[in-house]
Amino acid sequence: MNEPLLKVRRISKRFANRWVLRDVSFSVRQGEMLGLIGPNGAGKTTLFECLAGLAPADAGVLTFRGELLPAANRQRALFYLPDGISPWAAQTVRWALSFFEQLYRPAQTSAAELAKELKLDHLLSSRVSSLSKGERKRLLLALGLLTPQPLLMLDEPFDGLDLRQTRDVMSLLRRHTEAGRTMLLSIHQLIDAARVCDRLVLLSEGNVVGEGTIDELRSYANLEIPHAGLEEIFLALT
Amino acid sequence: MLSPKLLALLVAKEWRELMASRAYWLLLVFIGPLVGNSFITAVNLYAEASGIGGGAAALAQGLTPLDGILVPTWGAYDLAVTLLFPFVAIRLISAEKESGAWKLALQLPAGLGTAITAKVLALLAGWAIVWLPGLIAVVMWKAYGGHIHLPETWDLLLGHWLRMLLSASVAMAAAALAESAASAAIVTLSFTLGTWALDFIAAGRGGWLAEVAAFTPTAALRWFEQGLLRLSTLLVMLVLALAGFALAAIWLHQGRKLSARWFKTAALLAASLAVIGSSAAVRASWDLSENRRNSFPLADETALRQIHEPLRITINLAPEDPRLMDYERNILNKLKRILPKLTADFAAQSRTGLFESGGAEGERYGEIWYEMAGRKVMNRSTTEPIVLEQLYELAGIPIPAKTEESEFPGYPLAAHPKAARLIFYALWPLSACLAWWLARKFQE
Repeated sequence: MNEPLLKVRRISKRFANRWVLRDVSFSVRQGEMLGLIGPNGAGKTTLFECLAGLAPADAGVLTFRGELLPAANRQRALFYLPDGISPWAAQTVRWALSFFEQLYRPAQTSAAELAKELKLDHLLSSRVSSLSKGERKRLLLALGLLTPQPLLMLDEPFDGLDLRQTRDVMSLLRRHTEAGRTMLLSIHQLIDAARVCDRLVLLSEGNVVGEGTIDELRSYANLEIPHAGLEEIFLALT
Repeated sequence: MLSPKLLALLVAKEWRELMASRAYWLLLVFIGPLVGNSFITAVNLYAEASGIGGGAAALAQGLTPLDGILVPTWGAYDLAVTLLFPFVAIRLISAEKESGAWKLALQLPAGLGTAITAKVLALLAGWAIVWLPGLIAVVMWKAYGGHIHLPETWDLLLGHWLRMLLSASVAMAAAALAESAASAAIVTLSFTLGTWALDFIAAGRGGWLAEVAAFTPTAALRWFEQGLLRLSTLLVMLVLALAGFALAAIWLHQGRKLSARWFKTAALLAASLAVIGSSAAVRASWDLSENRRNSFPLADETALRQIHEPLRITINLAPEDPRLMDYERNILNKLKRILPKLTADFAAQSRTGLFESGGAEGERYGEIWYEMAGRKVMNRSTTEPIVLEQLYELAGIPIPAKTEESEFPGYPLAAHPKAARLIFYALWPLSACLAWWLARKFQE
């Protein structure tokens, strides 16, 4: 549980003259659910894209299980599920699930099981373009969970989901981590992050301002309020 | 590494995407009437020239189905590949870029090369269906009693296939470079307009510009329409198409730094130019036309092959002078196919030659100089037998005796385009619409 699966060291990214990420370093441990939290514009999505090799970082390296992980090999170690995408809009949910299932056969969980767990089974004949935001999010989660990479990075996995769906998805993700998968989640809802994540990385204006469990962060923030919640910690550190 | 299983899976995915593309189905609906109109017009004109009114054919020997039927009928595909097909190719990339699917596609185990290959294969398969009306037209022509010479027909089809491949590569490269489908369409159409402008300018200027313009898509297709298979044209078109696909791959790899992408683009450009430069110099060609329009008589070709010394021809004719066009078509292009050490210089300064009468330069206008092994002769003729005689004299070769070659008979045919209107204007569009509807149902 405590062995670092992925080490992110001094990742920096600049757009024109503006640094979006600056010397970002943190570790992801095997089998944990690590939350990346930060306000809008903190650089969460850019960081995810740099980690996945979908955007070039200006500096920094990744090591995976102790070995350097160049951008060209990232897809062997991790899979990134972006937020707000609507892939293959003209195709049906059934096709999208089956496409991923065939690509990564044999998957740990079948597409049919995931469709059932994510309540997509009644939408199998629907086109992706006709799905609501929440339905689309559930489909994307199913696609992500069909991939075999040891580390799954989810950008805003609960965005668009109602309370019940959020709880269901949290418990599904938890079951997958218990089965050995590691999750890195970007979450802007601090309540959700506090509920689901084992540890947290706080990102503010492209810098890591804290990393650890809530207790560790509370002590790091040196807050005088006993039992301060993540909101207070976040405000104190950013 | 290209995995056949993954490739098959991705081709199936791209095929589904193609079947979901309105642009593709619209192309399929409209290609029938486009080809049909060209075919019906061609058959009617051919019938008129063949003496449909009961009189004798005007000039039976001049009636070739390649010029009269196949080229105009398949000309509809040139229009489609220029104005409709690019949108189909652009969509296969732009839709994924705009929807975010490309971010998933880049992480798939197949790799970028396999992903691009799958898109190209799906487009080729889609285009094979678009060809059906053209093939139906060929079958109908045969059914009317028309003649088809297979080698020149295959050559024409190869030209159109390469034209499509080039169009697909330009469209895919544009889609990879541009932010949106609309921008990609503008880039693609600008490329087409640019090649048209090059054709137009080169026609008026000649020289190296004309050499370059010989490889624009329109000009390259013209060789195939003449029944000539030039290895240089084939290679240049293939290299250009591959370079376009490679450019698309470079710019679709969003994980690479911009500087790295520019560097790779420059390297690709340099490598492509080097290969194109050497390919363009290849002289090998095959005259696949039934009437051997691109060749001298066999006896003359045998005699000309005895010339091993370099021949330099200096032509004092302006690019727009009809005599130069005659000379190039009837003599120069044929000589280039036989004499590997031939160089041609174009000495006229003006576009039309109308005002080249003054001064020493002007007095030379119309002269064509032949130089071989230090010997020089001048002739003003653009007529094949006279020029050949001059060349034999210059090379010290006896004039070959005329042989009895079977003359091209010509294939006059006064046929009515029976059932063509029904097939191309009604049945084809209806079938395409029905297939569209079925494809949608099937995908659900």
